[in-house]
Amino acid sequence: MHKHLTKFASAIAVAASLAAGSSVHAQEEPIKIGAIYIFSGVAATYGEFAQRGADLAVEEINASGGVLGRPLEITYEDSQIKAQTAIQAMRKLVYQEEVDVLMGLDSSGVATGVVPIVPEVQTPFIITHAATPDVTGKLCNEWTYRVSVNINQNVKGAATMAAETDAQTWTTVGPDYAFGRQSWDFFQQYLGELNPDAEFSDSPSFPAFGTEDFTPFINAVIDAQPDGVFVSLWGGDLVNFIRQASDLGFFEQDFEVIMSLGAATEVLSALGDQMPEGVTVGTRYWYAGPDNPTNDAFVKAYRERHGTPPSYNAQNAYAAVYAYKNAIETAGEVDKAAIRDALSGMTFQAPIGEVTFREGDHQAVVGPAYGVTRDDPDSEIAMLEPLRLLAGEDVTPAVEDTGCNLAQ
Amino acid sequence: MESVVAALWNSLELGVLLFLIAVGLNIIFGVLNIINFAHGALYMLGAYAAFTLTGLLGLPFWIALIAGPLLVAVLAAVVERVMLHNIYDRPITDTLLLTFALLLIIDEAVKWVWGTGIHIVEPPEILAGTFSLLGTQQSVYSLFVLAVGIVVGGGLWLFFTRTLAGKVMRAAASDRKMSRLVGINVPLVFTAVFALGAGIAALGGVIAAPIRAISPGMGSNIIVESFIVVVIGGLGSFPGAFLGAIVLGAIHGFGSRFLPELNIVLPFIGMAVVLLLKPQGLMGRSAI
Repeated sequence: MHKHLTKFASAIAVAASLAAGSSVHAQEEPIKIGAIYIFSGVAATYGEFAQRGADLAVEEINASGGVLGRPLEITYEDSQIKAQTAIQAMRKLVYQEEVDVLMGLDSSGVATGVVPIVPEVQTPFIITHAATPDVTGKLCNEWTYRVSVNINQNVKGAATMAAETDAQTWTTVGPDYAFGRQSWDFFQQYLGELNPDAEFSDSPSFPAFGTEDFTPFINAVIDAQPDGVFVSLWGGDLVNFIRQASDLGFFEQDFEVIMSLGAATEVLSALGDQMPEGVTVGTRYWYAGPDNPTNDAFVKAYRERHGTPPSYNAQNAYAAVYAYKNAIETAGEVDKAAIRDALSGMTFQAPIGEVTFREGDHQAVVGPAYGVTRDDPDSEIAMLEPLRLLAGEDVTPAVEDTGCNLAQ
Repeated sequence: MESVVAALWNSLELGVLLFLIAVGLNIIFGVLNIINFAHGALYMLGAYAAFTLTGLLGLPFWIALIAGPLLVAVLAAVVERVMLHNIYDRPITDTLLLTFALLLIIDEAVKWVWGTGIHIVEPPEILAGTFSLLGTQQSVYSLFVLAVGIVVGGGLWLFFTRTLAGKVMRAAASDRKMSRLVGINVPLVFTAVFALGAGIAALGGVIAAPIRAISPGMGSNIIVESFIVVVIGGLGSFPGAFLGAIVLGAIHGFGSRFLPELNIVLPFIGMAVVLLLKPQGLMGRSAI
């Protein structure tokens, strides 16, 4: 008996050491994430912000023991804001780097090119920036998810703010590609529903993306004297527009101005105290908005590392990495098809709040933040006061209205 | 009426800015016979120099106006000595490749030094604000842009027609061999011309800094515009650069105002029309 017990104990010891050995081995095998962002040209700052957010999430997760005992490893590729380059990058990441999941994409144009190819590589793709409704609408597929606010949600927020003003006649200034035109279409649709008396200009302004001189467009709006102007310009274009508009007295005119992406931190920090006060501006995430411990920890860690508050793109990429971690833990494995299924309908905690990927179209039910700019001497960027966080449920159209048919 | 005045003024301001960028491109082509793809990047360096000197070091804008172009001119002289001077006799494709490489190098260097963020430069106090012009409001800064354009354009014209250095440059442009035979130090002239062209581009960058957002890649936007200016005005022609810039300025100023739906294609339509009617450009001497 005693002999048997010794044998039994040593067998357990051998088994335990084998198991320990194999888990050590597993720890050396990282789970690979492939990320495709824009790292060159005028919009390179968006790739940098996304990388900062994703790197922060990966480091936090690895510092606390990884996922299923395995560390995360992330590889970045530059889309050069071209769909074809992004598709090549995606194939390279999947077939050569053998990544387990994909994330990324700035620009709606790039996303509409990439998303139809995602099923070919049989890898879950979490979109964190590109805002065209199509990727969770008519182009949706079982492999593609979006964690970030889309144009629908963003512009429904703008229309909600617009409906609360006295303005009846509206025009727009937006970039001359799908994003600017879709933004204007949605604005008319949503504001028309909220305020049936609203009238919309039949000569809206769509300057080319990358226009350096907005003066003719600004003059055209001032001449037309509408009650309200909806601006969907973003990034460097928006910075140019705001400065040139300030010079021409645009913000002293008697009309309401709503900018759907005016509260992006890269725009506010570029402009500093040149940002006019009293303008209604929106963003897809405002660092000072969501009141939850995840956001507090994220903003604190980001600030400590980079000295600035995080932008929406940083939050989105950070959230995507945590979404993936959550999906692995839910599925209990890293298998691509299992992750794809785990993401569908999944709810997880992100800085922006509790996020759910809808089963019907894989769009996260999240809402934008809108506020009125106010100069704050204690802050390097303008503050939003009052601030409105729009609930995802209130700004996300029903699945039936998205054009997505995942059930086939 | 007001809208026409506004469009006219805007066309002039934009045209002058385009002139500052395109004229250097044209001078460099006229003398060195290379199409400098990196020219927009030199403009960008001017803007970043203005941002560094005023925004980061807190110096007055006027210092940046002088120091920015000088710094870029010195850098350009070094680049010409190290890189470009070896390839003047090579096919035009080689020079295109080399200057394109230079553009990429400068773009990456800018990201490395200044990051990818967007920056702005504040105009000097005296140039802030607006004034009324025939019922329209215009920025005081646009007056300054026009003044700089007149000074630079006039100065260059006097330089090339009235000074020995200018005449030497023109001589080197029209016949290198003969210039060498009469004792002109042609390599030195080439270095000087490249530095001059780069310095004017950088001046354009400094001038643009208080009205344009500064970010990596801003040079690529402007280079396309400059090429259109050069095609419209005529390759290698100094007055052509001026005329081409004013025409493109007008296409933007009036086109964006009165035909906004066509604002993207109008510059190319303008270029195509000029090419059809006068393939060598409005002021070009002969087709290449």
